[in-house]
Parts: sequence; C-alpha cells; structure tokens
Amino acid sequence: MMTTNKYAPLFLALLAVYSQFAIAEEPPAIIASSVDVSEEDYIGEVPAVLTVSRLSQSIADAPSAVTVIDRETIRAAGIADLPEIFRLVPGFYVAANAGFVHNTNHVVSYHGMATAYAGAMQVLINGRSVYSPLYGGVQWSELPIAIADIARIEITRGPNAASYGANSFFGVINIITLSPAEQSGASVSAMLGNGRHKAFARYADKVGDASYRITAGYRDDEGLDNRNDFKRTRLLNGQVDYRVDNKNNLEFEFGFASGQREEGGLQFDPYIFLPRTKGIENNFELIRWRHSISDNSDFSLQAFHSYDNSNDNVTSANLRPVVTDIFTPIIGPVAAAAAGASLLQDTVSINKDVTTERYDIEVQHTFTLSTTLRGVWGGSLRNDTVYAPHYLGSNKKDNFDLQRLFGHAEWRPFAAAVLNVGAMVEHNSFTGTDISPRASLNFKLNPNQTIRFGVSTAQRTPNYLENEFNQGVVIPRTAPNPPLLAQYFSDAHNLKPERIVSKEIAYLADFGQLTLDTRLYYDNIHDYIKSVVNSSFAVPGFIVVKNPRFFMNAGDVTINGFEAQAKWRMQDNTNLLLNYARVHISSDELQTAFNITKSMPRNTISALLTHRFNPQWDCSIAYYQTSAVAALGDGNDVGSAQRTDARVAYKFNAAHLKGEVSAVVENLFNEHYQEFADYNTLKRRARVNLRLDF
Amino acid sequence: MLLNQHKNNGLKRRLATLMLTLGIFMPILAQAYNSVTIVMSAPTPANLAFIDQFKTELANTKNNNLSVKVMELPETGRLVVAENSELVIALGTKALEEASKLKHSTPVMGVFIPHPTFNSVLVKSHRDRGNFSAIVLDQPFARQMTLIKIVLPELNKLGVLLGPISSQYGAKIKEKAEDSGYSIFEENIKQETDLMPKLKQLLDVSDALMAIPDPHIYTRETAQPIILTSYRYQKPIFGYSQSYVRAGALAAVYSSSKQLAQQAAEIAIKSQQAPSMLPPLQAPKYFSIMVNYQVGRSLNIPLMEESVIYKKMLEAEPTELEEYEPI
Repeated sequence: MMTTNKYAPLFLALLAVYSQFAIAEEPPAIIASSVDVSEEDYIGEVPAVLTVSRLSQSIADAPSAVTVIDRETIRAAGIADLPEIFRLVPGFYVAANAGFVHNTNHVVSYHGMATAYAGAMQVLINGRSVYSPLYGGVQWSELPIAIADIARIEITRGPNAASYGANSFFGVINIITLSPAEQSGASVSAMLGNGRHKAFARYADKVGDASYRITAGYRDDEGLDNRNDFKRTRLLNGQVDYRVDNKNNLEFEFGFASGQREEGGLQFDPYIFLPRTKGIENNFELIRWRHSISDNSDFSLQAFHSYDNSNDNVTSANLRPVVTDIFTPIIGPVAAAAAGASLLQDTVSINKDVTTERYDIEVQHTFTLSTTLRGVWGGSLRNDTVYAPHYLGSNKKDNFDLQRLFGHAEWRPFAAAVLNVGAMVEHNSFTGTDISPRASLNFKLNPNQTIRFGVSTAQRTPNYLENEFNQGVVIPRTAPNPPLLAQYFSDAHNLKPERIVSKEIAYLADFGQLTLDTRLYYDNIHDYIKSVVNSSFAVPGFIVVKNPRFFMNAGDVTINGFEAQAKWRMQDNTNLLLNYARVHISSDELQTAFNITKSMPRNTISALLTHRFNPQWDCSIAYYQTSAVAALGDGNDVGSAQRTDARVAYKFNAAHLKGEVSAVVENLFNEHYQEFADYNTLKRRARVNLRLDF
Repeated sequence: MLLNQHKNNGLKRRLATLMLTLGIFMPILAQAYNSVTIVMSAPTPANLAFIDQFKTELANTKNNNLSVKVMELPETGRLVVAENSELVIALGTKALEEASKLKHSTPVMGVFIPHPTFNSVLVKSHRDRGNFSAIVLDQPFARQMTLIKIVLPELNKLGVLLGPISSQYGAKIKEKAEDSGYSIFEENIKQETDLMPKLKQLLDVSDALMAIPDPHIYTRETAQPIILTSYRYQKPIFGYSQSYVRAGALAAVYSSSKQLAQQAAEIAIKSQQAPSMLPPLQAPKYFSIMVNYQVGRSLNIPLMEESVIYKKMLEAEPTELEEYEPI
C-alpha cells in the first residue's frame, strides 16, 4: 500500500489560495428597496429554461423503468465513492475493487452478467458518454466529477438505445450536475477516514449573463486488505452557463483528472504483470448550444472531446527460473534448465500504455406538435481512437467510427394512455448498420396508478477487448531457439453485435406518502458474446506457452425477474427508500459462459432510512443485502452479504460559518464479507466529513 | 373637491355610486372630458395591442363621443396635453410618472402599472385618488389561489418568497390564504445571496411556489436557478406572467393587453361625465390563464384543458373586484 503523498502540500497550498480568494470576496450586496417596480418586472420576457433531458417525462409517462437518485439521497447515503450509490437502485450489483486488471475499479452491473469489465451500460455525465471504447466499461474513480456537484442521477433500468444510443444495453446511467446558476459562493470540504482522504473546494459565481463553477479535488484510498489497490486522484472541473439572450444558451464544461492506480497482484500473476503503480490522466472539453426555436420546439448542438491515458510500464520477474520450472515436468530438468538459460534477458518489459480519445458531435430537436403529440429526433457522429500497443498488438492508433440517428415520439391517444415509440439506427466500424426499435404503452388506471407494457430492443456493439485484442508477451531467446509467446487474447474480428429484446409489465403508484415502482421483466439476449480459449493457437516461429482467449457469438441467455422500489414518507421528517430485486438467469452454459446463471445475486435488497431531528441534526441508516453470486470476468463464488452503514450529520448556520459535519460508519457490524470474488474482503471503515460554505 | 378631501374612501365611493345611480351627478369643478389621450413611453407590442383594442372597444360602444389621441412620451421636456378636457391613460410606469405631473385636475388612469409603483407615484405626486387611478398588473391573490386550487386540488402548503417590495403583502396573502384553506410558508429575502438557500428551505416544506412579483426576486437572471431548483425538488411554480410559464412555471393567471384595454375603455366611458370620480385602483377585471403542459408532464401533474380550468375560474370569481387598501 502506498501511503506517502508528495502532492499533499501542493494541494493544501492550492486550497489555502482558494479559500483566501473566497474570503477576499466583497460582502454580499444588500438589496436596495428604493428601486421602483416597472411593468417589465411583471410582463417582461424571461429566458426559457432549457432542460438537459431529451424529452422531459415524468416517471409515470416514461417508456422504461427510471430511478431518480436526488442530491438528498446521495447525501443521506453518505457514500465516499460515486458507484456506491447504485446499490440503491433495484437490480444493480455493485462491488468494490473488483477484477485484476483494473484493481481499483468498481463493478456496476445491472441485472446480470456482472463482470469486472461490465460494459453493457451507457453512462453519461451531462449528456457526455464516458464509457471506455477499450472494454466498454467506466473507470468510475477517474471521472473528473465531485459528488457534491451532482444534482441528480437518472437510471434507466432496461435497454434504451432509442433514446441514448450505443451501449444502452442493460441500462443507462445519466449523471446530471448542478447548473452553476444554482450554486454560488465558495465551499470547501474534507474527509478523513480509515485509509482514505478527500479534500474538495468549489467556487461558483456570476459575471453578467454567465454563471460559472470551478471545482478542485483530491482523494486517495488505500483500498482493501491484501489487495494492491491504492488509488489517488486529483481533479479539476469547470462549468459555464452563458445566457446569450432569451432564446440561446451556451454551456461549456471541462474536466481534468490525474493520479495513480496500483495494479497487479502476486496471487494472480507472480511472473509478468507484477504489482506496480500506473499513472492515469484524462481530460474533456464540451460545448453545448441550446436554442429555443419557439415555445414548442427546442434545438441543441453538443460537441465534446475527451482524452484518457494510462501510463503503465511493467517489468516482469526474472523469468529464467520460471521458464525452468514450467518446462521441467514436460522436458525434464536438464532441458528445462537449458530453456531457462536460453532467454535473451532475465526479464521482459511491456508497454501497457493505453490512450483513448473521443470526438463526438450531436444534434437534437425536441418539438411539441399538439397537446397530445411530441417528440425528439437527432443524430450524432463519433470517432474513437485507441492506442494500446500491448493490447492491440500494434503501435498504430486504431479508429472506430459511429454514426447514429434517433427518434422518439410520445402520443396520448386519450388522457389515460401514453404511447411511446422510438428507434435508433446506428452504423459503426465493427458491425455495420443496426436498428433498435422500442415501444411502450403506459395506461393510467387513475391519477395515482399506472400500468406500463413495454418492449425495447438494443444492440451492443462489441468493444475493442472483444473484437480487436491481440495481446501477447514475447519472451525472446538466444538463436537458434524460437522465442516463447504467452498469448492472452487473440480476437477473431468477426463478431456480430449482442442483441437484447426486453419485455416488461410495470405497475407504478403514487399515493402521496408512498410511491411504488414495480416491474416484471423478461429479457432475451441473442448472440451472447463469450470468451473461449483457442487451444489450437499457433504462430510460426514461436513456442506458445499460453493459449489465448477469443470472443465469439454464442447462444441465447434469458433473464427474467421482478424489481420493486418503494419510497415511503413515514413522517414529515422520516423517509424510507426500499429496493428489492429478484433475478433469474437461464442459459445453456455449454453454449454461453460457465457460471452465467449465477452471475447475479438471486435476491438483492437495499434500504435507506433517513430521519431529521431538527434543522441541525439528521441521521440515516443504509442496509444492503445480496445473496450468493459468482460473477464473470475475474469474479468467483462469494456468499451472501449484509452490510449496514450509519451516518449522522450536524448542520451549522452561524453568521460567518455555515456548513456541515458528518460521520459515517460503513459496515457498522464489521461483517467480513466478500464482494465479487473471494479475494475482496470488506471490513468496517469509518470516516468524518467537514464542509464549510462561504 | 369636498368629496375628494373626504378621508373615508368607502363612504366616498358609496356617495359617488349613489349620485351616479340617481343621475343627479353634475360636474363640480372638473369638466367632463370628450377625448382620451393615451401616453406611452414606447410603442411596444403590448402598448400597441392595448391601443388597438381600446379604440375598438370605444367604436363598439354606442353613446360615446370620445376621441382617442396617442402620444409617445417626449424625450425631454414636459408632457403636454389638453389638460382640461381629457382623460389621460398612461401606459406603464414612466408614462404614469410623467402624467402625475400634469395639472391635478386632469384625470389620469394608469395601465400596466405594478401596484407598489402606483402607490409610490401617488405619494410623490400628492395627487388625489379621485382623479388619479390605475388598473394594476397585480392579479388578486384570491384569484391566483383559485387557479392553484383548480389545478392541484390536493395541495395545501403554499410557499412564497417575499422581497423588499413584496413583503408589504405578506399579511394580505396570509389572510387570503386562510379564506382559501391554504397554509402559507414564507421566506423573506433581504440580500441576493439569500435567494437560493431560502428557496431551498421553502421548497423543503411547501408543496408549490406561488410567485409574487418583486424585482429583487423574480428577474430574468434568477428565472433559471429558481425554475431549475424547483424542478429538482419536483415542486411546481405558479407564476404571474405568460413568459414565466413559457420559461418553466406550471401555470399563471395574467391579463392580456386586450383585456386591460377592455376594462380601461369601460372606465373611460363610465367616468366621462365625472372625471374627478374615477373608480378606485382596480385589479384586472378580465384575465387569462396559461398552463405549461410540458412542465405538468415532467412533474407528473395531470392537467385539465386550459379552457376547462378557465371556466372553473370564472365560476369561482367573486362578483366584486378586489380593491386594494390605500397606503
């Protein structure tokens, strides 16, 4: 575990400068009451508020199951890592520090096929897609975003390619940050916990018609016991909303993150990919123009660029004794010793650098044709480039292009019914052109209760890992001995997209104090992409010492189950959020993947109870329970797990000092349970947070 | 003059009504007017629509010989009208301020005037309420509450943000809310930086936000944060203008230029023979509503057709117009 931090003084200095800057601000203007009110204050034009969403719909009208996690829930859950919040979404499986390639990353997986590299979800931050082209998943801890800046998270449970495009296969996570116009002043916060530190500073203000926010942050985490999973992140992000006039808004966003991640583990690989620390760095820039064409029609144009780099150079252990040991049972001790001696060098060095870059431009047009018909349509162009010499077996940058057109209409044939239909047409460099249609009917039994019938389809384009990997390690030897080749992946480049057809019946109710969101679903996945070992792998001139895996389209997988979410306002100051999900996966495991039917806990329960004693004090208790699971992709059998988190917070609001101090105990009863795989043991961890607002 | 000096407005009104009813009213000092001069600071679409409709209303009414003149406020110098035989209709605050400097016997009626502004102009000009009146832009609170009741019958906790200007209405709002069965939660904004935190406190406890005009609270600049924050809390805003509804409020009751013109024309005709007896300050008599169905859907609020809501509102209207307390 790494404990030293050479950047801490620098960061503290930054914080100090920052807070001085904030304190030096002029005192807030006292409103003069002598100004006369003019008629303009009553009848003057007000700029339309152009929302972030494609087609803003209430949950009762939406074509799929949507869970909204608001700011207050995020605060009450007391999370330290963003992906932890998804434990409060029915059907999600979340696990800390899974996998043995991205040791520090969370698994966030919805309703099946949990893997360390879960790549079947679209993840957006303010409409910007952040999943990696390399393996389709998200490096959660590397996102340059502060939890405190998040306004809400909308999670679509189920495929929604028609609205959100590529990778919207199992679900969509849409993270929406606060508009800078909603924030003002400075805020600094710090967290001190077992093996964890965090410090954040934010400043928001207005200059004329522009509101802006800048957030800087630092966090580190030693990770779990017996895992090489320290992580450290520094981040900076900014957002500017500029109101050009009543009809036009320009928004700019940028973010930057850098840091270190530990990788490797002797229990997984004591020979080549040894424990080490890699550097990570990413940034993005985004510009969005929103234009109100009329009262009934809005247009937006968004363009962004993102860049992601991990700097990872590995030097193996001394391979001579390793080779000797491996060959001894096969060719006898004498020849094996000669094989060991034949290596050109003791070690091999591997350049595991990965650089990905994304350019994306998107237009959309939202319109209302009548009180019963409205819609959205648009299109986007994307270019991903990947430079990953070790994984792709080439020093060249590889290009992936994606174009799509999407449309979605909402029609109310009569007051109690909402019909949603939509489709996306996508063309990409790997699998050509596909279409993903969807349709749903929401029927209101009465103003409080809705029944929804839906069918949605999506395609999942294979990612680089599945389609393009050619990952091997060559161990050169002295002439005339042919070099040894350990091949990890050797993809066949011939995959079809995975297809999902999801059918559901949902019942939604809103009785004021109690809201319910329940659904039964039946999903069929066709052309499931699985990895298999190529045991006949051969390369002329090499001795293959490890047979690679490659990906192929295999049989069908069926996932069905039940999900429920209840929000109960027990009293004015007491709220309960309760989630339950039951998942059943069936498949022919010879055709698909071993353990696939166990790749999601059969039952998951989560609950969040919050109580406010008075304006100063509040507390919350979170409870998470999962039954046994055997995750795919680096996972293995783990038993059922229970975890209880407790949080207590005190808000203070004195004349010159406002803020909050809170304490969180994660895993209160110190259950030593395993998550994702038997190598991840979770224990009790506590932390205190302090936030000051100026 | 005797009557006008009377401190009791209620009595004055009753006497005036009595005399009008009996038909024995004779001009005492001021002469009856035979023309109307409409003064505006600029030919805005709202003002032009008003003038258009005002003329139409006069033309459609028999038994009046009123002629209409329209003038823009001179950029410099004083406003000049035929002060002894005219009713001056001042469109907007600036026009009213200028008109208030005319000879005190000239009857002046303001239109498109915020209620607080009328009061301050009245005080500054030392004019008399008898021939200095207005149709204010402020909708009666009871009418706004009727709209809320029709749109969201189950709601009972109304939040209001009051600023330096609107704080004077706090008591009145509470009184009207009591009549309508609402609990009012209010937050007073004393400095700009209070706005967002106080709005959040308010949204925590109330079911909806009822916007009361105040130039320090509801501005072009604050519209976005107020609407976004309310949306985040999933609480609707009831506004006071079409543009606020377009911007993201759920609904509003407002009066259009044409509706104000109709009311103004009625007054002009009725007071022709008694120019020093203009009716007291009036709330808009005719009104419209506007509903943002998009917002309703986003907040999962089922909304009736605008026409149905409007009909229900007309049924709920009291026969007497709200009259404002004098300062």
